[in-house]
Parts: sequence; structure tokens; C-alpha cells
Amino acid sequence: MLFFAIRRLLGAVLVLVGSSFLVFALCAASFDPLSKYYTLQPRPPESFFANMREELGLNDNFFLRYWNWLSGVLTGDFGETINGTPVADQLFARLGVTSRLIAAAVIIAVILAIIVGVIGAVRQYKPSDYTFTFLAYLLIALPTFWFAALLKEFIAVGLNDAFGRQVFFTLGEETAALGLYADGWELWSDRLAHLILPTISLALLSFAAWSRFQRAAMLDVLGSDYMRLARAKGLTYRRTVVKHGLRNALIPLTTVVALGIGTLFGGAIITEQVFVWNGMGRYLLEDGIGDNDINVVLGWLLVSAVFVVVFNLIADLLYAVLDPRIRLS
Amino acid sequence: MNLSRRGTALLATGMAGAMVLTACGSDDEGSGNDGQAADRSGQVVFGESTDFPENLFPNIAAGNATSTANILNGILPGAFNVLPDFSITHNEDLLAEEPTLETEGGTQVNTYVINDDAVWSDGTPITADDFEFTWRSGKSTDPAEGGCASLLSTTGYEQIESVEGSGDDNKTVTVTYTSPFADWQSLFSGDFGGGILPAHLMDDEDPAVVCETITEGWPIAEGLPEDISGGPWQLKADGIDVGTQTVVLTPNPEWYGEGPFLERLVIQNIGNDPTAAVQGLQNGEIGVIYPQPQLDLVDQVDGLAPEVESDVTFGLSFEHLDFQTQDPHLASLPVRQAFAMALDREEIVAQTVGQFSSDAEVLQNRIYFNNQPQYEDTAPEDYKQQNVEKAKQLLEGDGYTLGPDGIYTHPQRGPLQIQLDTTAANPLRQTTIEVMIPQLKEAGIGATFNANPDIFAGAEKPTSLEAGGFQAAVFAWVGSPFRSATQSIYWSPENGLGQNYSRQGTAEIDALYDQFVQEPDPDAQTELGNQIDALLWEEVATVPLYQKPTFIAFQSSIQGVEDNSTQAGPLWNSETWTVE
Repeated sequence: MLFFAIRRLLGAVLVLVGSSFLVFALCAASFDPLSKYYTLQPRPPESFFANMREELGLNDNFFLRYWNWLSGVLTGDFGETINGTPVADQLFARLGVTSRLIAAAVIIAVILAIIVGVIGAVRQYKPSDYTFTFLAYLLIALPTFWFAALLKEFIAVGLNDAFGRQVFFTLGEETAALGLYADGWELWSDRLAHLILPTISLALLSFAAWSRFQRAAMLDVLGSDYMRLARAKGLTYRRTVVKHGLRNALIPLTTVVALGIGTLFGGAIITEQVFVWNGMGRYLLEDGIGDNDINVVLGWLLVSAVFVVVFNLIADLLYAVLDPRIRLS
Repeated sequence: MNLSRRGTALLATGMAGAMVLTACGSDDEGSGNDGQAADRSGQVVFGESTDFPENLFPNIAAGNATSTANILNGILPGAFNVLPDFSITHNEDLLAEEPTLETEGGTQVNTYVINDDAVWSDGTPITADDFEFTWRSGKSTDPAEGGCASLLSTTGYEQIESVEGSGDDNKTVTVTYTSPFADWQSLFSGDFGGGILPAHLMDDEDPAVVCETITEGWPIAEGLPEDISGGPWQLKADGIDVGTQTVVLTPNPEWYGEGPFLERLVIQNIGNDPTAAVQGLQNGEIGVIYPQPQLDLVDQVDGLAPEVESDVTFGLSFEHLDFQTQDPHLASLPVRQAFAMALDREEIVAQTVGQFSSDAEVLQNRIYFNNQPQYEDTAPEDYKQQNVEKAKQLLEGDGYTLGPDGIYTHPQRGPLQIQLDTTAANPLRQTTIEVMIPQLKEAGIGATFNANPDIFAGAEKPTSLEAGGFQAAVFAWVGSPFRSATQSIYWSPENGLGQNYSRQGTAEIDALYDQFVQEPDPDAQTELGNQIDALLWEEVATVPLYQKPTFIAFQSSIQGVEDNSTQAGPLWNSETWTVE
């Protein structure tokens, strides 16, 4: 298993280099970080443009620019934004914000998906199955931004009006500037309150798709010979389902969830945008693409890709853990 | 280990991780404002919809952001302020009297007398030294002259010969120009990109060291040097939370004017999603928003009355249509005239900004705005209303014949098909062009819409304005009440491209502009400006369309909020705000 992991990681390095080169080429061809200055009034002097081109390395050869970035990354330097802020400083702070946003949501979504998927399979075509199926498809069909907007409009504003005080929040990770003059329970309860709606939004939408995977996997397993054998040997139905059925039915979900988490670390882009969480997604959209900032986009790509690769690897390793028949070599 | 135990372990690890991650966050803590006066109460949260600033130094590219200007508005003092009606008035808190203007022998001298009480937040008096340093640090981009290549602009400062202090406590400032500068009030003024800099914290004998200081600027994570302020608000380093993109302004304990009446003014970045802004306002999380107006947004906010008040005004940004006069068709004056006559600009305004406010008007002047006192309607009658017949006559007189498809064709230039470029993802401009296309078709001019992502790119992108690879383009100029900066838009290409993307100019316009930028007398300058615009109508290289609206909305519990659609921005009078 160790050699398998090492081999996969080495392969991942090549993937990262290749993808970063491709993204660098695309950004270099389409980004013009000086564009916002051409129409300023009064127009900056030519010496300003010459200085900026030099500072940002825009006069350098394409390959030299890429090599400068890549060699910097190898020494832990992700470069600076076009405004001179180290990318690494922002990148890891943003990663922390995204982690906070997705952690609870993923756990809730997985638990709900397993419970609902198993119930749907065990009680196939019963009213509960129809109900959960309807709910799942409804949630899958809802665009994230719309679902989030509904939560804000009807849950946050509506319930706050009903309670006569602010219980739910629609913006940010905490009440504006509270962290600057409050601490202890006041601050943490406020942060938890800010987590509620984004967590519900992210968890329900993730759970909906995952529950369908779990239901399908569970149905496959329930029809297996070894399940009938287990029952024939006298095991209780509950024990058969939980010990023999669920364990095997978790394998497909593991892959889906692991890949999903890996992708989410790149930013729950729409959720972050709607709830104004300054995580990886907003960093890419606003500071990277919005500002034509190649170092920000590449830094985001690298960190996001690392998580996708790592969680892919985790999925493969969990396969072996969940199914002893699978041997990684 | 069986599955259930392993699953339990995984679950426990995950939950623990979630709790840790959930609890992790910025640990910024601060004591907040320690200078609260008895008559101060409450706080207001301003939802900033533009990018969170990375650098607070206003004179370099990194600090050239609306969000930076909003923060610095109440921090760096300035000699003049611009009011919501675009009038210019001297800063009565900073200056003891109105600055004087003398022009003799081809030079210009301005004298400022600084208020005796005016001090920086660390107690250091604001003196002529600060004016002198502001000039010296901003006058040149050439290091050989002691300048600094990082400067975004040297306009005006480069024309100053000397800045000298005199009088008791060095409070009288005499500024002497090598040649008259019409927009002298824009210098040493925070409302126009900049403000007076604290010499005692930034100056050095070695220009290279000063340049280094300027180039580094004031990174947002570090705040301003020594938390300095010369205005009503102070931004302390511990009032900046980069993680949550929030800054907290507190009253400057050494402020020498009236106010502020709030304990805090919090500026929180809320992004440019209008729905998020409205819901934040509706939920009471935000006190004031200043987003780009969109029709849905204005309607939604109207629905929140009376708890929320709002206002649409027209600012210093105007949309216009530029012709590339090197295009085979548009090089011909009759074609450009026909194009302008084919447009029903009243209808364009009605379908675009007229949806926001009944005050919207067609802009008939490129130099001055509808709501400026200097504004004159300089447009010839022919262009005031759509005149399809005359447009067709002009085209036919220029050798065009109407084809069976209803589009004119020229024997050498081919079919009169013009591509109208504009920025991508801009609904207002897209609607503008979509209204134009059928109007032009009536006059036999074929037109198509093109969202050009490279429109504002450098000359290396062939379809950019700079490269000239377009036929006609709709975009906006963002200006100030001072109009000298428009010179490089309308001067002859022989002077350099500047911002003259239509590439059309005349010696007569150049000569008038030379006078315009050096005429300190406001009335004489107004006359020159309107003369220039009348000549620009003769060339029809650009057609003004309309001023862009700005939109402010705020909780009705906050008093004193008023839109200032100039560079002064929505926080221009925040020191007078009170909250119930």
C-alpha cells in the first residue's frame, strides 16, 4: 500500500505540473493586468506602464515567466498578487475559511445520505422511499444560488422577523468586525450562527446526490447471494443489513464523497459567493479571474489540485480498508 | 478492528476535525475605539461592493481602488472637497480661509492658510511641510529627477515649481506653478485621488528612500504608518481584519472638526452580488449599501421602504459611442454624421437609465455633465432627434446605394456593416446596443453586437481600443468635476494616442484645449470647454449617450446619509451620520 501511495503521489506531481502549465498558458494569453489603467482619467504616464510591465515580469519570455513561478513554488514562494500581496498568505487563510464552511456540511451530508440511502433501499417503493426520492430529486434540481437565496429570504429574514431578533445571518463568517472587539462565547456563538445557513445549503444539496448513490449501492448489495446466505445462517435482518450489507454498500459512496470533498476544497464557489464567505472560491473569482491575476489563479489551482489528488488517493486507500479483497500493489 | 469500530473512529475523527476547523479562524482581537466621546453612539456597517483593498497608499497602482478611496476619505485631509452637486468647496476644517489664486506673468500662485488647530492623530501639527512633501513625492516618475516610477499620476504636481512654508508655525503654504494649471483645486485634495501625506512619517533626505516607501505603500495587513490620520476617522492596525475583509474606523481623538457622532464606522466587503447586498440590508446586517444599480435591485430595495431609504443619482461617468475613424466607412464624415442622425438617443435613454429614474436625460456634451452648472447643450439640432431621411441623404451623397437587403453599399468600401463592440457581461451596454441596432437598420446601416473581452486590453491585443481593431464601441469615461483630464481623449493623434481611441482630432481643438487646461478662471474655462465640445460635434468621432446612475440605500434609522456620486463617494460626510 505504501508503494502504491508513493507511485500515485509521484504521478500526481506530473499532473500538477502539466495542469499548472496549461492554466498558465491560458491565463497568459487572456489576462491583461494593466487593462484597468488604460482608461483611467487622467491616464497614467507611459513610465508607469513600463514600470508595471517590468515589475510583473510581463516583458519576460513566456517560458521564463512559467519557470520563475514554478521555481518559486518549489521553494514555497507562490509569488505576489499584482498589488504586491504574497499569494501564500491569502491562500492558506482562504483555505481555512473554506474548510470551516465545508467541514460540518460534509459530515452532515454523509450521515444523512447513508441513513436516507439505506432506508430507501431497505424500504424500496414504500411511502418513505418515494418521499426521500422526491426530496432528493427536488434538491438536485434546485440551483445552488437559488436554494441559498430561498434560505436567506425565508429562513433568515422570515424567522428573524418572527423571533424579533437576529438568529440567522446571511452575510460573512461573523458579524461585521465582531472578532475585533469580542471574544469567548459571544464570538463563537456568532460564528456558529453564521455557519447555519451555508451549512444547510451545502449539506442538503450534497446529501441529495449522495443519497441516490447510497440507495443504488445498497439495493445491489441487498440482492446479493451472500446476503441471502447470511440470513439463511440465522443472522437477524438488522445485523445482516448493517454488518454485511452496509459495509459493502459504502464502497461506491466513499469514492463519490472523497472526490466531492477534494473538489470542495477548491471552494464551494457559489455558496461562498452567495453567503459572502471569503474562501477559496471567492479568491479565485474575485482576486484571480476578476483582477486578471495569474499568480492567484495558479496558487488556487495548485492548492485545489493537491486536495483533489490527495482525496483521490484517500478514496483508493479506503477501498482497501473497506474491502479486504482489494489489494493495492 | 471491525467495520463499526472503524466507522466510529472515522466519524469521530471527522467530527473532531469539523469542530476544530469550525472553531479555527482569525483571532484578531482589539480594544476598538478608546476615544469615545459622550455624545457618540452606535455604529454603522457600510457594505463595500468593490474589491477589498490590498494597499492603502492612494498614489500607486496597488492603492488605486474605490474601496481604498472610501476608507481614506475620512483619514487623509485635503484642501478641497467636492459636494454632491459637483461644486468644489475648500475644507473649512483644515484651512483657516479660502485659498487664494494669483496669475501673473504666465505663472500661477496659490496660497493656503492651514488652521492652527489642524494636527495629525499623533499630535504633530499639519504644516506646509506636509504640503511640500505631498508635492515632492508626487511630482515625477523619473528616478533621475528624484521621482518614483511607481506613481500612478503626476498630473498637476509636475507643473509646480515650488511649495514653500511661512508664517507662524509654518502654517501658510505658497504654491508656485511654472505654468497655470486650471485644475489646481484637485491637488492636495483627498477627494480627487490622494490627499495630504504625513511628511513626519514618510519623508527622507534621500529620494530613493522616499521612492521605496511609496512603492511599498501601506499594505492593508499593516495599516497606515503609526495609525496616522488627519481627518475625522482613524484606522488602527488592529481594526483591520483581512480574513473577513472588514475594517473598523474609529473617531480620531485629535480631530479638529465636528463629529464623528458614531462610535464606529465598519466597512465590510460584501462582494458585488446585488441580492446579497439587499438581503444583508433587509436582515439588518448592513446599514448602507452602494452597489452598481440594476433594475431588479432598485425594485427590491424600493420594496423595503419605509425601513430602508434609497436614492438614484447621476454621476461622473458617461456612456458614449466611439467611431474608429480609420475604418474605411467611418473615416468618412458623412457616414459618421448619418450614424449619429440615425440614432434615437431619447429612446436609448428611455430603455436604459430611464428605467432607473425619470431624471435621466440624453447627454449632449462630452466635457460637462447634465448636472454640472457649466453644462451647455452644444449638440446641433440635427442630432437631437432621429432623422432617418437626412441620414439616408448623407449616405447617398457619399456614394452609397441602398441594397436589396435594406443596407447601404459603397462601390469601394462594401456593405455598410458596422460591428458595435462593448465590454462583456454588461447588461446596460448590451441593452444600449440592442436598442441602437434596429434604429440604424431604419437608416440602412447594418450593425451587430459584439461583447469584446479585450476591449480595454493593451495594444498587444488586436481588438482592443488601444490597438484600434474595432469599428465602433460603446463604453464609459469615468471623470471628475475637473475636466482638463479629458484633453488626451480629444487631442489630435499627432500628440500621441493618449486615450483618443477614435483617432480623430483637429488643430483648432488642440489649440483650444491648450488654453482650457491652463485657464484657472472658472467662467473663462467653461466657455472654452463648451466651445471645444461644439467643435467635437462637427467631427462626430464620438457621440455622448447618457450619464450612468449611482444608487445608495440605507436603513432609515441612519441619519445624514447622502449620495455623492463623485470620487468623494458615499462616505463623504460619514462624520455627520447619526444612528437612532
